[in-house]
Amino acid sequence: MTPKLDRKALLDDSSNRGVSFCTLLSDKVDTWMRELWTNAGGPESGAALVAVGGYGRAELSPGSDIDVYLIHDPKRDVGALAESIWYPIWDEGVKLGHAVRSVKETLSLASDDLDTATAILSVRHLAGDQRLSEELSTKGRDLWQKRSKRWLDEMDVRVRARHLESGEVAFLLEPDLKNGRGGLRDVHAIGWAQLAGVPLLPGDHDAIAEAYEVVLSARVELQRRTGRHSDILLLEEQDAVAAALGFDDADVFMRALSTAARTIAWVSDELWFRVRSLLDGPSRRKLRRDEEALVGVVLRDGCVALAAGAEPANDPYLVLRVAVTAARNDARIERSTLDRLVESKPLATPWSEEARRLFVELFLAGRPAVEVVETLDQRGLWEPIFPEWSVIRCRPQRNAYHRFTIDRHLSEAAANSAALVDRVDRPDLLVVGTLLHDIGKGRPGDHTDVGVELIAEIAPRMGFDADDTLILQQMCRHHLLLPDTATRRDLSDDGTISFVAESVGTLTCLRLLDALTEADSLATGTAAWGSWKEELVGVLVDRVAHVLSGGSVADATDGGFPTQHQRDLLAQRRRIIEAVDDQIVVISPDRPGLFSRVAGVLSLNGLTVLEAAAHSAENQMALEQFRVQSNFDSEIPWDRVIRDLEKALDGRLALAARLEERSKTYRRPRRLPGLVTHPEVIVDNHLSHDATVLEVRAPDGVGVLWRITRALHELDLDITSAKIQTIGTDAVDSFYVRDSEGRKITDHDYLGEIRRSLLYSLERASSN
Amino acid sequence: MKLVTAIIKPHKVDDVKDALKAAGLHGMTVDEVKGFGRQGGKTEIYRGAEYVVDLLPKVKIETVVPDDIADQVADIIVNAARTGKIGDGKVWISPVEKIIRIRTGELGDEAV
Repeated sequence: MTPKLDRKALLDDSSNRGVSFCTLLSDKVDTWMRELWTNAGGPESGAALVAVGGYGRAELSPGSDIDVYLIHDPKRDVGALAESIWYPIWDEGVKLGHAVRSVKETLSLASDDLDTATAILSVRHLAGDQRLSEELSTKGRDLWQKRSKRWLDEMDVRVRARHLESGEVAFLLEPDLKNGRGGLRDVHAIGWAQLAGVPLLPGDHDAIAEAYEVVLSARVELQRRTGRHSDILLLEEQDAVAAALGFDDADVFMRALSTAARTIAWVSDELWFRVRSLLDGPSRRKLRRDEEALVGVVLRDGCVALAAGAEPANDPYLVLRVAVTAARNDARIERSTLDRLVESKPLATPWSEEARRLFVELFLAGRPAVEVVETLDQRGLWEPIFPEWSVIRCRPQRNAYHRFTIDRHLSEAAANSAALVDRVDRPDLLVVGTLLHDIGKGRPGDHTDVGVELIAEIAPRMGFDADDTLILQQMCRHHLLLPDTATRRDLSDDGTISFVAESVGTLTCLRLLDALTEADSLATGTAAWGSWKEELVGVLVDRVAHVLSGGSVADATDGGFPTQHQRDLLAQRRRIIEAVDDQIVVISPDRPGLFSRVAGVLSLNGLTVLEAAAHSAENQMALEQFRVQSNFDSEIPWDRVIRDLEKALDGRLALAARLEERSKTYRRPRRLPGLVTHPEVIVDNHLSHDATVLEVRAPDGVGVLWRITRALHELDLDITSAKIQTIGTDAVDSFYVRDSEGRKITDHDYLGEIRRSLLYSLERASSN
Repeated sequence: MKLVTAIIKPHKVDDVKDALKAAGLHGMTVDEVKGFGRQGGKTEIYRGAEYVVDLLPKVKIETVVPDDIADQVADIIVNAARTGKIGDGKVWISPVEKIIRIRTGELGDEAV
């Protein structure tokens, strides 16, 4: 009777979590291994079974492999023994990592292969000849220490490559708990570095042990549920894992996970920085005298430290000066300095000009400021300067659109804004306004309103006068105005430009918002900025600037659509289709459904519509202009598109059927959460003087635009312009529409029917 | 009709071919493929480095047979291909909707 492994009871007992679960599972497997050894007639001497790697550390998650070596005296033939042990394990369905070697062979491999070298650092005797196990363990560690420089160098490179590939545990929507930055592997690497002689600084060990428990517990629960080896904390598992670990909800849990990961990542960064310094050695570092940077702060060997005689308890500005020096020189801060700065005298409020200047200088240094803020926050030095940070710290924004937690998003945005200061008169307001633009998040209520209220307290505290405080509030209040208007509204419409100009009020504010828009978007995610958006925001800013400088709105919006060339074509009274670069113009006898037919054909050919405009001429001809983008990153197949268009305009293309087929083929199997949970239709009759603005939000998909425009045509609505935008997985489309007599739609019932028709067609789209 | 597919060790191809021929089968398709199973491509005695390329050379044999002998054919393959060691492979049976002999246009069982 071959011994079996029974894990069921252990897996089902939810009171065992994290490290304790892993130890219990490891104990169970140990027993099983010993039984297998005895059953196979394993000898007392000449051969041994040892656990290595994670199993060697007695740390087995539900999906973990079991890694063992069969170590033997070179003369001994262990083929049959090996077979009798491995086959039952394979037959049990357990994933086994195995090798059969002598101690010498193992060490020989370990001297050249980093993975073997680290695997044997955690060798643990299971059964057989204890002598052999100890020999392997001792010699393995000796070898590790002998080659420490080489291994530390290689590990440093590997750690960074792994981070690049696996992303950050603290920020990803679906983090890789093992390989991500701030994950389990980082802690293992720290352990190996310690064995190579790199010490942890006081306090670090406890900090990462606590954080490790959080991440490991998450991984254990994840694998308990999926029953698989994967370390990626999928979105659909996050609720269950949170509940199993006793959190109120997934948001609270992900915040705890993010916090733990940030701690691990920071300690890891610190350690590998020390390793680099160690490796670069005295030959690289010239024994220089301390280089004085700011008052009380020096640069020492590429690190920032307090000067001799600097007293944090007497000098409240030291923290900021240290921070500014570190950011300007992209240097780390010495741990002893960070420890001493904890005793700092708090800044007097309201802040002096010196304090404010230093605070702004920190972010004007650009990218390095992000890491400096992280360091200060990890050591409890940031909150005294900026108390509101505690609400947003590590707070995730769990959707496909936002890449970072709120706090990190703000520090990234502020750092981004440093590169844009030449666009504004007041760099200080730009940097601070950007840092504060989302400060209202994480609290109940609309984040913009809450932000404006908070700034009423924060700005004066930082020593800004009443006028400046108003500007900072304006920046917060309107931080989405420019990008939203640019991408969802008709920039040739008088009402639109007037509205923005009135909201913004001054040129100063406009310039600040322009720079804030770019800094914010770049710090949000890949979907948030691009050349199209940049161009549109640029056009909007130019037109609003014209008005704010005293120019007329009419001048600003004279966009020239249709162009004279297009008017000439319209006069020819025949069907013309012209496609150049990313624009297609269709001229055709005006009839209902024209817009939606073109939209449908474009969708059928894998093209996304970015914007569209339509014009009805007096001679019953209509012109439709579409700007598109290929979904497949390739050249636009205009020939094919035009062929399909001709057919569609002649009524010889079964658009509905073909779009349905296509949407089935291109259906996304997994839906990452967007910002839109259900389709929505918003009506705005105030913005434009001539048309009703309909804003439609829905999950994106093949043919969504076609459905929407068909619904509009069903109600005899004339589309004069449209902005089509896909944000992550959501479609946010805006249409300027008029009724069949060319007027805004003010009739309440009519608007109700429009809404009904649109929502119906969107529900049908999402059920496909 | 059924499609019987087998992934076997390369050195067992002749044994399987002979056994199928002896049973009266006169058609099959043989392909050189790569793959792995639960053991990750490793053998009992394994001395190499930690991470290994786990795609081993295998041979795929496919043959379409009438429904009533599909199970028998699978058994023949299993017995001929088995060595008892890790990596022996797998056989599976799937339905075939339609089969046509190209030269004559025959369909169904006549085409098998």
